[in-house]
Amino acid sequence: MDEQRVVLITGVSGTWGGRLAQRLLAEPGFHVIGLDAEPPEDEIEGLDFVQADVRNPLLAELLRSESVTILAHMAFLETARHSEAAFDFNVMGTMKAVGATAESGVRQVVWPSSTMVYGAHPDNSAFLKENTTLRGSRSRAANRYRLEIESFLNGFRRQAPEMALAVLRFANVVGPTASSPMNQYLRQPVAPILLGFDPMMQLIHEEDVVEALAHAVLTGADGVFNVAADPPMPLTRILALAGKLPLPVPHPLAYRTRLRRLSPFSPSYLRYRWIADVTAMREKLGFEPQYGAVEAVEAVATSQRIARYRPGSEAAAYDEERLRATIERRRKQRASQTGSNGQAAISEQAEREADHE
Amino acid sequence: MSDDRQCTATTRSGARCKNQAQPGSAFCYAHQTLAEPAEQNGSRTPDRVENRTPGAGDENWRQEMAAEIDNLIEELQETTPGYSPPPFSPRALVELVRQSLDNLPPGMRVDVLYRLRDALQRDDVETWRGIWYLMHYWRYYQDAFVSRLRALSLEEPLAALKRVTNLIEEGVLDMDTLKGAWFMLSYSLKYQADFVRRRFTGEYDTDPWGLDWELLEAVRPIFTFLYKVYWRVQANGLEHIPDYERALIVANHSGQLPFDGAMIAGTVMLEHPSQRLVRNLYADWFPSLPFLAPFLEKMGQSLASVENGTALLSNDELVAVYPEGYKGVGKLYKERYRLARFGRGGFVRMALNTQAPIIPTAVVGAEETYISLYKSNRLARLTGFPYFPISPTWPWLGLLGLIPLPTKWTIDFGEPIPMDGYGPDATDNLVLVSQLTDQVRNIIQEMLYERLAQRRSVFLG
Repeated sequence: MDEQRVVLITGVSGTWGGRLAQRLLAEPGFHVIGLDAEPPEDEIEGLDFVQADVRNPLLAELLRSESVTILAHMAFLETARHSEAAFDFNVMGTMKAVGATAESGVRQVVWPSSTMVYGAHPDNSAFLKENTTLRGSRSRAANRYRLEIESFLNGFRRQAPEMALAVLRFANVVGPTASSPMNQYLRQPVAPILLGFDPMMQLIHEEDVVEALAHAVLTGADGVFNVAADPPMPLTRILALAGKLPLPVPHPLAYRTRLRRLSPFSPSYLRYRWIADVTAMREKLGFEPQYGAVEAVEAVATSQRIARYRPGSEAAAYDEERLRATIERRRKQRASQTGSNGQAAISEQAEREADHE
Repeated sequence: MSDDRQCTATTRSGARCKNQAQPGSAFCYAHQTLAEPAEQNGSRTPDRVENRTPGAGDENWRQEMAAEIDNLIEELQETTPGYSPPPFSPRALVELVRQSLDNLPPGMRVDVLYRLRDALQRDDVETWRGIWYLMHYWRYYQDAFVSRLRALSLEEPLAALKRVTNLIEEGVLDMDTLKGAWFMLSYSLKYQADFVRRRFTGEYDTDPWGLDWELLEAVRPIFTFLYKVYWRVQANGLEHIPDYERALIVANHSGQLPFDGAMIAGTVMLEHPSQRLVRNLYADWFPSLPFLAPFLEKMGQSLASVENGTALLSNDELVAVYPEGYKGVGKLYKERYRLARFGRGGFVRMALNTQAPIIPTAVVGAEETYISLYKSNRLARLTGFPYFPISPTWPWLGLLGLIPLPTKWTIDFGEPIPMDGYGPDATDNLVLVSQLTDQVRNIIQEMLYERLAQRRSVFLG
């Protein structure tokens, strides 16, 4: 294993792909190929960028010719609402990319998942082990796609037993930049909670997400691992630490009304316990988060406090504009690539209308 | 001395005052106060004294006065109905005067007596009778008023105050004790304010399970009250509970609401030398209940599952399970102390996984806290409860119907059943698991019968 290791990172223009590429480029003995439909906004020094969609059928060819040994599949759109385009990109994209590794000499596949796939249920054990049945909510699109991918990877593991398949299920990601449900929740002016419920919550700092992924690549980890920082905390304590005002909503109301739109979590996730067991992370993966859960919340709170005083609204507005244009462009590109042009356009139309209501 | 000196003032009738002058003064007791300002001015003004009398003479004035007094008497009679003074006699009058005099300061008493004697010389019997009536009514009215005040039980706070002052007088409450009490009060106030503040800033800790020690300490007095006063729990066999090692308490479940778990935890916390926390495992209905769910979690209780039990026992915790589950809690009154089926033996698997001894425990008294006569399946479906009891008070009285009866409780901890004699794969031996389940069930049933045979009264034990 002394020869140069070649890593292919899909979705390298996204947050996680880009950061993982930077992190791995800092390690000696790595050749990092980045794959995305769009070049990264900020150029990554030393990255071997290949512009292509992850669903391109020639991907297997690329893996073989570049003698790629590790695939870090970071291409994932964190969408709350289901659309055919997003489903195609996330689920079909993963199936095609991971499937391409089967006969191309790739030895390890790394994919980030979320502990939300376990689902929040009253009969959940206090600490959910990796082999727990996945009963996640399908109402949030990103979670639904993850469940699809998880079940696909489970089958893939049986088909290709010699392949190291590292699935890292991250707890609620928080940090100054990440776009996770918990981060979104903590950035809202008020945080809706369910009246009379205060579930324990697990957090992980965004830098630890990148670290854990890099750790999995570096150690050639195989298996499913929950990744979260200690200690789990009651939701109200997290809100108190973040300086957020909790807005208690009676739970029958939260389940029935449009109030659920106020929260990136579906009500069950704010009602029941869904704490993952992190023994395997320590003992088998050998990873220890740098940020404790309390520090992770404080990092969010600090970045938000500063944002209040910084005249960053214009920059933020520009950034938003730019991202919207990018999303639009990529959507069109995807629609033309899949060939099912009409259907994608129709579903896009429907989604846009739904957004406007 | 100056006995022969006569008062120099003029009476209201215009005649010279016949009273003796006060020692060291030119006036008698009656005229001294009137004359003094004038005397200070250096000129006597008998006219001013003259002006105070009604101009139409003594008879007019007297009649007017009598009429006024009659009015007053009438008024008093109205406020004190059903009262008539005793017949008038000089002796009775003097006696009444003597009694009333006690209420006056000593300097005034002599003065009043002098005035009375002066009046006696001139006024007729009718006036005196009027005064007699007036005084009687007035006294009666005062007595009635005072007794009404007493009825307001002012006595009690006064007695408490008196006790405090007694303590201070006896030296029990000296200055240092008071200072100490003050410090304690202000410290606990500060602590409580700080406790609330830290709840809002998130500066408190929970263990990974959710146990919040600080909150537990805050609600502890409520459970201590239930334990010591309300149910007067009597605990036996505490020596069977280990100080530090893992152990699994298996108890009968009853009482519609799971107070028995709280009382078992209370027994160990209040009576056992180690003061350990008992980790009760509860049924999966509770996590979906608002307020109760987070409360149980913060009290260190967890969901009943083999994984949870095994994990807790591996941490050398003291775990309590109620294998009867809903079937036990929702028992009808007529089924009390008859153990229901013991689940699927999950508790035995927890114990076998961790080789933790099983402590069979019998709780007597809890099964009578509610009298469940009937279980309504329809209402249970409607409300989403796992069972819906109908008792003489619930649901008719609403939340009041939830108040448990103050029965006398006995908690017996039995001889521990060791689990370390079985092999590592004993958990998968279904026959062994079901045998052990039945064995523990029979032991607890026997313990219940034994205690019930000794019990004389449900409320007194």
